[in-house]
Amino acid sequence: MKMAVIFHLLSSAMEGFFFGSGKAHVVTGVALVILLGIGVSLWRMDRRLSKMERESQSKNP
Amino acid sequence: MRTGFQSTFQTAIAVAKMEWRLEWRQGHQLASVALFAVASVYVAFQSSDHETSTGAWTAMLWLVYLFSGFTAVGRLFDRERTATRQYLRWTVEPLGLILGKLAHAILTTTGLTALVLATFVLFLGWPSGLEQAGKPGLLVLGAWLGGLSVTTTLVFVTAVASQVQSAGAALSAVLGLPLLLPQIILVTRLTRGALLGTPWNTLGELPLFLAALSVGTSILACILFPYIWRA
Amino acid sequence: MNSWNSVWKIGGIVLLAYVIVRGFSTPLQPGLVEASPTRLSPGKATVSLSAVGQPFLRDQETLEDFQLVLRSEEGLLKTQVLDISEHRVTASVNIPTVLPSPALDAFLFTPSSGTLFLGNAFFVENAAEGIIPAGFVAPAPDEAAPLLGFSFPYQPNIMESIRNLLWHVPMWFAMFFVMGIGFVASLAQLRTGQVNWDHRAEAAVRTGLVFGVLGLVTGSLWARWTWGAWWVSDPQLNGALVTVLLYSGYMILRAAMDDDERVGRLSAVYNVFAFIMLVVLLMVLPRYTESLHPGKDGNPGFNSYDLDNSLRAVFYPAVIGWGALCYWIYSLRLRMNRIEHHLLTQ
Repeated sequence: MKMAVIFHLLSSAMEGFFFGSGKAHVVTGVALVILLGIGVSLWRMDRRLSKMERESQSKNP
Repeated sequence: MRTGFQSTFQTAIAVAKMEWRLEWRQGHQLASVALFAVASVYVAFQSSDHETSTGAWTAMLWLVYLFSGFTAVGRLFDRERTATRQYLRWTVEPLGLILGKLAHAILTTTGLTALVLATFVLFLGWPSGLEQAGKPGLLVLGAWLGGLSVTTTLVFVTAVASQVQSAGAALSAVLGLPLLLPQIILVTRLTRGALLGTPWNTLGELPLFLAALSVGTSILACILFPYIWRA
Repeated sequence: MNSWNSVWKIGGIVLLAYVIVRGFSTPLQPGLVEASPTRLSPGKATVSLSAVGQPFLRDQETLEDFQLVLRSEEGLLKTQVLDISEHRVTASVNIPTVLPSPALDAFLFTPSSGTLFLGNAFFVENAAEGIIPAGFVAPAPDEAAPLLGFSFPYQPNIMESIRNLLWHVPMWFAMFFVMGIGFVASLAQLRTGQVNWDHRAEAAVRTGLVFGVLGLVTGSLWARWTWGAWWVSDPQLNGALVTVLLYSGYMILRAAMDDDERVGRLSAVYNVFAFIMLVVLLMVLPRYTESLHPGKDGNPGFNSYDLDNSLRAVFYPAVIGWGALCYWIYSLRLRMNRIEHHLLTQ
C-alpha cells in the first residue's frame, strides 16, 4: 500500500515527487536561511566574547 | 615501615572487617535490605499472572535485583559522611578503603543474590512452560556474576554521589542506571539462556564477559577512587 | 581574531551550505520497485516492471540497448523487451514448465544506469522443479558500470531519504569528536587539578549533548520512514540513547554541587568512568541485540555507500562541516566558561 503510493508519487512527476513538485527548492532555501542565521549569530557571539576577553584582560593584567 | 602493598592490603581487610561488624551490630540495616528485596519479589509475584513468560520472568528478576542492589549499596558510604568517621579520611589510605568497601559489597551481593533468587523461585516458580531451569547451575552462577558486576559499578557511583551534600537517592539512580546497561544486557541474555537450556557454544562467553566486566569496573573504581576521596 | 580562525569558521558554514544545496538537488538513481503481474504460470506472458528515481531511458537509446533477464536460483531466463518508457519496462517472457525455483529475480541491464535489480519480483505457479530447458536460457550478460552523472544510489525502502545520511551520521561523528575532547580534558583535569581543564570538559559535554539529541531526532525520523517505527530496539539506537542519558547524568551531577574544586574533580571522575563504560557498551550491544541498522550482519543495505563517489563527494564535506560547526560552538562555550570564572573569582 505504502509502496504503491510512493511509486505513484515518484514515477508520475518528471524527476520524482521530490523534484517534480518543486518542493526541494523550498526545503533547500529554508535550510540555507537557517544555516545562515546560525552562522551569523555564532559569529556575533564570537566577536562579543573577544571583546569581553580583551576587557577582562586589560582590567586585570 | 611496611611496604605499600602490604599496608594497603591490611587496610582493606581492616575496613571490610569493620564494615562487617558494624553491619551486624546495627542489624536493622541488613534486615531492611532483605525486607526490601523480599517485598519487591512479592510485589512482582502479585502483579504477574501465572503465565509469566521467560522474558518477563527474567526482566522482573533483574528489576527486583537492581532496586535491591541500589538500597544495599546506596548506603555504603553513608557512615563516612558523619563527623565521627571523618578521621578515616586522614588516617586511611584511599586504595585500602575502596578495596575494603568492594570486598564488603561482594559479600553483601552474594547474600542478596541468594536471597532474591531463592524467594523469586519460591514465589513465582519457573516461567510458564518450564518444569525447571534448563541449566540451574549456570542460572545461579550467572545471577551471582551479574550481581557482582552490578554491585562493583554501584560502589563507584555511590562513592561519587556520597561526595555531593545535596544528593538524594535519585542522584545515584540517574548516574548509575545508564552505566549498568551493559551488565543488564549481558545478564538477562545469560539468565534467559540458562532458563531455556540454550547450548553452551552460544552461552559460554557470557559468564566470562560478566566476570571481566566486574574485574574491569573494580579496577577502574580503584584507580579513580583516590580522586573522589581527596578532600 | 586571527585569519586562520576566521577561515575555518566561515569555511565550515560554506561547506554546510554546499552540503545542503548538493544534498537536496542531486537526483536519485533509478531503482526497480514493482512488478506486475507478480504471479505467473508456465507459458507466454507479458510482464512489466516499474522504477523510481531518475528515468533510465535517455535520448538516443533504443529497445536493443535494454535487456531484461529473470533469474531462478542459478538459471537465467531470457525475455524480449517490448517497450521502454522513462520509468517502466515491458517485456514478453516464455516460462518453461520446469524451473529450479518458483521465485524469479529481475535484472534490468540499461545502457546508462547500470544494472537494476528486484529480488523475488515474480512467482511462478504450477512449475515442476528442474533445470531450465536449453531453449529458454539467456546468455550471461556483461555487467555494465553505471554511467550516470552526479546522483545518489537507490536503496530499497530508503529511497529519497538517503539524503538524511548527510545530517544524521555527521552529527554523531561530531558528538563523538567533542565527547572525546571532554574525555581527554577530564583525564588532564584529574592529573593536574587545573580548573581550565574542567572548563573544557564542561563545554565539550554540553555541546556534545546538543549534537547527540539532534542525532537522536534525525535518527528517529529516519527510522519512522524506513522501518515504520519511531523507535526500535537496536544496538546503535540504544547506544545513542544511553550516551545522551549518561551525559545528562554528568550535567545533573555538576548542577548538584556548588564548590568549584569539587565540581571539577568529581565530574572528571564520572566522565572518565562513563566514557570507558560507553565504549564497553558500544562493543557489547551489537553482539547481543538484533540490528536493522546499516553496517551489521544480515543487512548489507549501505555497502554501496562506500563505493558511490557522488555520495562521498557530499558526505565527506558534511562530516568536516558539522565537525567545524560543533567545534566552533564548543570553543564559544569554553570561552564563556573562562570569562565567567574570571569574573566570579575576582
